[in-house]
Amino acid sequence: MHSMSGHDAPYSALTRRNALIALGGVGAGVLLPLDLSRLALAQGATALRVRLGSDISVLDPAQIFQVENQTVACHIFNGLVKYDQATNKIIPDLASEHTISPDGTVYTFKLREGIKFHKNYGTLTSEDVKFTLERVLDPKGGSKYTAQLAGLAKIETPDPQTIVLTLDKPSGGFLHKLTAFNQGWIVSKKAVQQLGDKFKLNPIGTGPFAFDRWSTGAEVRLLANKDYFEGAPKFDVLQLRVIREETAAAIALEKGEIDIFYALQQPEMIERLNKAPNIRVLSRDANHTIDLVLNTTIKPLNDVRVRQAIAHALNRRGLIDGYFQGTKAEAQSVLTRSFAEFTEDVPHYDYNPEKAKALLKEAGVSAFKFEMTTPGFSPYDKIVVPMAEDLKAVGINAVIRVLERGAYTQARNSGRVQSCITGVVGPPDPDSPLVTLYAKKSFPPGLNTARYDAVEDLLAKAQMASGAEARAAAYKAILQKTMSDIPVIPLYADKLFLAHTDKVQGLVQNSLFTVYTYPVQLKG
Amino acid sequence: MLEYLGRCLIHLAVTILGIVTVAFFLMRAIPGDPAEYILGDYATPEALAILRSQLGLDRSLTEQYVIFISRAAMGDFGTSTVTGQPALNEITESLPPSAVLAIAGLLIAIAFGVPAGIAAAVRQGSWFDVTVMLIALGGISFPVFWLGLAAILLFAHHLDLLPALGSTSSPNLVDQLLHLILPATVLGFSVAAYIARLTRSAMLEVLGQDYVRVARAMGVSERRIVYRLALRNALVPILAVIGVTFAWSLGNAILIEAVFSRPGVGSTILKAILARDYQLVQAGVLALAAGVVITNALLDVLYGLIDPRLRTT
Repeated sequence: MHSMSGHDAPYSALTRRNALIALGGVGAGVLLPLDLSRLALAQGATALRVRLGSDISVLDPAQIFQVENQTVACHIFNGLVKYDQATNKIIPDLASEHTISPDGTVYTFKLREGIKFHKNYGTLTSEDVKFTLERVLDPKGGSKYTAQLAGLAKIETPDPQTIVLTLDKPSGGFLHKLTAFNQGWIVSKKAVQQLGDKFKLNPIGTGPFAFDRWSTGAEVRLLANKDYFEGAPKFDVLQLRVIREETAAAIALEKGEIDIFYALQQPEMIERLNKAPNIRVLSRDANHTIDLVLNTTIKPLNDVRVRQAIAHALNRRGLIDGYFQGTKAEAQSVLTRSFAEFTEDVPHYDYNPEKAKALLKEAGVSAFKFEMTTPGFSPYDKIVVPMAEDLKAVGINAVIRVLERGAYTQARNSGRVQSCITGVVGPPDPDSPLVTLYAKKSFPPGLNTARYDAVEDLLAKAQMASGAEARAAAYKAILQKTMSDIPVIPLYADKLFLAHTDKVQGLVQNSLFTVYTYPVQLKG
Repeated sequence: MLEYLGRCLIHLAVTILGIVTVAFFLMRAIPGDPAEYILGDYATPEALAILRSQLGLDRSLTEQYVIFISRAAMGDFGTSTVTGQPALNEITESLPPSAVLAIAGLLIAIAFGVPAGIAAAVRQGSWFDVTVMLIALGGISFPVFWLGLAAILLFAHHLDLLPALGSTSSPNLVDQLLHLILPATVLGFSVAAYIARLTRSAMLEVLGQDYVRVARAMGVSERRIVYRLALRNALVPILAVIGVTFAWSLGNAILIEAVFSRPGVGSTILKAILARDYQLVQAGVLALAAGVVITNALLDVLYGLIDPRLRTT
């Protein structure tokens, strides 16, 4: 009896434990399909955790859009050149040097030697660069950015390290189109050809991090590229967590469940995190303004006095101080202070309801119906309310129309809306907001819903101008003309806020609405 | 039984075909299309036309529908126009977290809702009854996103007991359960409120029946009356609401998913609708419709087990 139980006890205990382990295993399997690579990673790997405001959708540079996708992609891809994160100066990236012919039409790039694509997709050559650009230019390629490379007439690859681009006419700003952002990100020809449609979410680049996996609606995981040409990143895993609620994200940051919270929006949240211990909040002027675009082909908005009256009627300072609690800046024009071409020397429109009424009277316009179309997300659908009140105060019968994003785009693209709220988010390339908002070629569909066409010659001149001084003068002329014609009323200049824990060191905030974590070192 | 199963299957097929058809036409009735979404602000009319024809959007609606149905019948729901991945994959990947949340929430709801409802019915009019019904009223009235945020503030921030995020990629089971507690409890609380109120009224109705009075008069113990006679009869409507709630929370836990940063089918479908990703929406609607129909079929079987009178129909 005794000996039997002595034998029995450890045996049964063992099986019971085994059964428990098996049960636990089954439970874990149900909760989340196990992934062996992930288990291996968990052993002593250092991870940086960044909050994403929404899920990613496409990482292919030819089609990429939205800051979440761009934040992931900027870690995976490089460009021929790139913006310095702190100064927005254009500096070398994949090309160690470049020369521009004296007439400004031939751009020659020398690629660095021996740069490897992720996951054994081979060495970067000029063929990959040619393929990347041709893919964007192909009208059947479904790229969003075909127009960005307009004027690029010839792409030559005399040798594997050299790429020569010839433009049909001189362009001082063409380098901006080739920086490491959107269409400027260089892809692996072999990977695109082998992966086809799958490339959209299996991106292969040369950047400091390689794409590992995407879990729908939950997270994106990137792994450090130990062979990165500027040196291996100082941490192993970049985890981008989808956290839609700002309050939850702020608490998660305070509790150390995430390390970086970028693109902070709510003024209350910024204030809260500013006060929190062990958290640092950074802020910087963004590259974009939020604007009210007036359709200059619809009466009475075709009269410049009516447009000026609207600008004078809006209490934009009040919007910044009141609704935004000082977390946005006043806009001088559609170019913010983060552009090299920024100037304050433009016509200004102070808040002056009396002047607005006088201008309306002068134009012979009495109470007219003015419809403002806005996409249905914060803060655009909120700020139109005080704006409508301001306009009513000067006798304009302002009506608000809030549309869901897809419906908004369609309404705007029709070119028949009286006015709409819009912003051009992009790199510090002055052509990005200016061509988009004021050029004839951006007529609907496009963002020039003002249908404005009075700066065609000035835009062409600015694009031909080379040298910082000539460019500054040429762009100033555009800004002065557009601010006096005022087809687009800049409402405020956006500011970017980013919060991180003390653990994160060496992070540089950019003006792009994204976050680039390669320089980060984790403490403790 | 075979005949019953056959009827169930036909019923299932017809219902799903109907739902998927409605989803197909509804999606195309909304303004905006995938080509506009993909090409965005810089689209030219030519590029839009080319992409539309590549996506097959330039064909007539009936043609598109016939192509869709014939492919769907073979199990092919196409690839997502935005992500380029098979549409059904993205849905099946977000189903497990939805199911885990729905099951956990429902277990919590049943564990609290049914006993509370019974106790309130037995002590009708007492302070206990009033308190339970007040709490239940709160559970029904407070929106879940408010409850969720309040729970995060209280348990994650002030008390610092639980994580603020409702999901984790950690393979550790304990970690996963810790992250599940808050979202499951918030979902469970609002459902428990419904179940408690329903249990109470169903119980009250049964407890007022003649046969209960007769049983009391015959001296049957109160315990036996409540659990054997009354609860068993009150169980059918309770089960119905539990089944409906389960199917509902599979797709409609969007607010909870948003507040607690959890992936799920509801969120995936919402994202697809905003992107006019027709294929993904259709695959998602199919998965949810199948979930609802299958739950209902299972419930039918359960009714029969509980109440013999329902077996013949």
